[in-house]
Amino acid sequence: MLKFLGKRVLQIVVLLFIYVTVVYWLIEAMPGSFVDQYLLNPKLTPEIRENLKRQFGFDKPAHIRYLIYMKNFLTLDLGISFSYFPTRVTTIIAERLPRTVFLFVTSTLVSYVLGYNLGKRAAWKRSGLLDKTTTFVGIVFWTIFLPLLAIFNIWLFGVILKILPLNQFIDPNLWKSAPLSAQTIFIRLLLTALVFLIVFLIALLISNRLKTIPAKKTVLYTSSITTIVVSIVIWILSGYSTYAWDIIKHMVLPVLTLTLYSFAGSMLVMRDTMLDVIREDYITTAKAKGLPDNVVRDKHAARNALLPLVTNFVISLGFTVGGGIITETMFSWPGIGRAYLEALNTQDTPLLIGLLVFTGIFVLIAHLVADVLYAVLDPRIRY
Amino acid sequence: MLLSVRDLRMYYKTKMGYVKAVDGISFDLDQGESLGIVGESGCGKTSISMTILRLLPDNAEFKGGSVLFDMGNGPVDLVNLPESEMRKYRWRGISMIFQAAMNSLNPVYKVGDQIIEAIQNHFPDMPLDKARQKVAELFTLVGLDPSRMDQYPHQYSGGMKQRAVIAMALACDPKIIIADEPTTALDVIVQDRILKEIRKIQRKLNMAMIYISHDIAVIAEVSDKIAVMYAGKFVELADAVTIFKQPMHPYTYGLMHAFPSTVGEKTELVTIPGEPPNLLNPPKGCRFAPRCPKADSVCSEVEPEYRELEKNHFVACHHPVQPKEVVRFYAE
Repeated sequence: MLKFLGKRVLQIVVLLFIYVTVVYWLIEAMPGSFVDQYLLNPKLTPEIRENLKRQFGFDKPAHIRYLIYMKNFLTLDLGISFSYFPTRVTTIIAERLPRTVFLFVTSTLVSYVLGYNLGKRAAWKRSGLLDKTTTFVGIVFWTIFLPLLAIFNIWLFGVILKILPLNQFIDPNLWKSAPLSAQTIFIRLLLTALVFLIVFLIALLISNRLKTIPAKKTVLYTSSITTIVVSIVIWILSGYSTYAWDIIKHMVLPVLTLTLYSFAGSMLVMRDTMLDVIREDYITTAKAKGLPDNVVRDKHAARNALLPLVTNFVISLGFTVGGGIITETMFSWPGIGRAYLEALNTQDTPLLIGLLVFTGIFVLIAHLVADVLYAVLDPRIRY
Repeated sequence: MLLSVRDLRMYYKTKMGYVKAVDGISFDLDQGESLGIVGESGCGKTSISMTILRLLPDNAEFKGGSVLFDMGNGPVDLVNLPESEMRKYRWRGISMIFQAAMNSLNPVYKVGDQIIEAIQNHFPDMPLDKARQKVAELFTLVGLDPSRMDQYPHQYSGGMKQRAVIAMALACDPKIIIADEPTTALDVIVQDRILKEIRKIQRKLNMAMIYISHDIAVIAEVSDKIAVMYAGKFVELADAVTIFKQPMHPYTYGLMHAFPSTVGEKTELVTIPGEPPNLLNPPKGCRFAPRCPKADSVCSEVEPEYRELEKNHFVACHHPVQPKEVVRFYAE
C-alpha cells in the first residue's frame, strides 16, 4: 500500500508538471494579451508603452516567461493578477474558494445521496412506478440546457412564488451594518459542515462495528441529529444566525438547480450497476437465507453496486473547487467560476492559469483518494 | 412426512407464452432421506427448488399444487404463506447449496460474517461469540480451518468456497438441504471428496436432502431415491437401485445406458436421438414421444398418467419397459 501510494504521488507530481506546461502554452497561444489595449492606444507615448510591457513582463520572450512561471510555481507562487493588480492570484482564490466550495460540495453531496437512494430503489423494483418516473424525470433534467433550468427556477421561486432571493450570495441591505464580513461567516459555516461530516463519519464507523440494524440506525440518527441541533443552537447564541441564514437562503436556489441538473448522472450509474449486481448468485443466496428484502437490497446489493458511484463522487468532489461558470453567472455567485470568466474576458493570464492549475491539483488528489477508497470498499483490491 | 409436494406447477411468463418449467411435480421426502433429481439442462430441475423456497424471478407464475412442509408442528403449505412468514422457513427449515458456489458468497464480506448473518437472522438472541463458536464448529465439520472464517471469499480456493457454502447451508440446522449441482464447478477429485463429505454429514445429522444434477453418476452416489425429470415433469421415481437395475421409462433406460460403466457386464452405449422439447409449446401427449422408439399413436395423443406401477416405483408411460427388454434407439 505505501509503495503504491509513493508511486502514485510521484506520478501525480510528474503529471502536474506536464499539466501546468500544457495549460501555460494553451493560454499563451491565445491571440492578444492583457497589455494590448494599452499598447494600441495612440495617446500613450512609446516610453510609457515600453514601460508597461516591462512591468507586465511582456518584454521577455514566451519561453523565458514560462521558465519564470515554473520557478515561481515550485514555490507555490501563482503570480500576480493583471486585472486585480496588485492582488496575488492565491489571494483571489482564497477569497472565492469558500463560496464555491460551500455551494458545489453541498449540491454534489445532495445529488449523489439522492442518486444513490433513487437508483438503488429503482433497480430493485425494475420497471415499477418509481423506476419509470425517476428515470424519465432524471433524463429530462440531465439533458436540459442548464441556463434554461436556472432561469426557470429563478422565475418560479423568486418571481412567482417570491420565497427565495433572485441572485447574489448575500442581501446587501442586511449586511451593511454587519459586525463581521461575509467571508468570516462563510468560513464558519464551512467549519460547521466539516464538524458535522466528521461526526457523521465517526458514527458511520462505529455503526459498522455494531451488529443489529436498530442499533446502527440509533447511533447514526442520534449523533447526526444531535450535531445539527447543537450547531444550530450555537449559531443562534452567537447572534450571527440571521447572517448565516441569509447565506443559506441564497444558496437554496443554485443548489436546487444543480441537484436537479446532475442527480440523474449518479442515479443512472447506481441503477445500472445495481441491475448487474441483482443478477449475481449471492443475492439469491441472501434471499434464501431468509433475510428481509431491504437488508438484501442495502447490505448485499447496494454495497456491491456502490463502488463505481464512490469513485465518481470523489472525482466530482475534486472538480467542485473549479466551480461552475454557467451556474455562478446565472446566480451572480462570486465564486471561482465567475473568476474564470472574468479572467478570460480581461485576458488576465496569471489568474486564468492559476485557477486551472489549482483545479487540476485538486482533481489529481481526488483521483488518489478514489484509488485508496476503492481498496477500503472492495477487499479484493489490494495495492 | 417432512416434505410433501403435490402437483406443483410453476410457469414462466414470456412474450411468446408460458414456459412450463415445473408442470405437475409430486414427491415425498422423509427425515434423513435423500432424493436425487436428474435431468437434462433446461428441464426445470432448478425451478423446482426455487419454487419450493419461493425465490422466483418476477415473471414466474405459480399455477397450482401444494408444498406441505412439517417442521414438527404440523404441515404448513409454503405456497400460501405470506412473505414475512415464508422468510422464517427459508434456511431455518430448508436451506440450499447453490449451483455456483463460487458466486454465492458476497465478495465484500468475510466468509464467517456471512454465515453469522444467517444464524443471527433466525436466532436474533444468540450472542456473537456463540455464533462465532457455531461457525467454527461448522468449519471443522466441513473440513475447513476455523481460523479462515475472518477471510474474504477471494482468499479461498474453489473447493474451499464450496465447503464454506456447505457450512453456511448447515448454519441454522435445517430439516432439508437442497443441493443444486453442488459440485459442477469443481474438478473430479475434489468433487468426489465433497460429495462423500456431504453424504457423511447428512447421515450424521439425519437431515433430508434433495440433490439436483444432470450428472447421473453424482446422483447415484448420494441418493436413496432418484427422480428422473423430462421437460418439466417427473417421468420416473424409484429407489436408486431399482432405477439402475430396472428402469421402466424408456427415457430412464436411455439415460442409464448412455453412461459407460467400469463395473458389471458390457452393454452397448445408447444415444437418445433428437432434442428435448421446447417448454413453451410441449408435445400434446407424452412429452418424450417424439424421441421414443416405443411410441405409438396413443403416446402422441394422450398424456400418460404418473402412477405407482410397482410399490414405490412411479412411472409416467403408456408402454413401460419390461424386465430383460432391450430398447433400441435409432438416430433418424
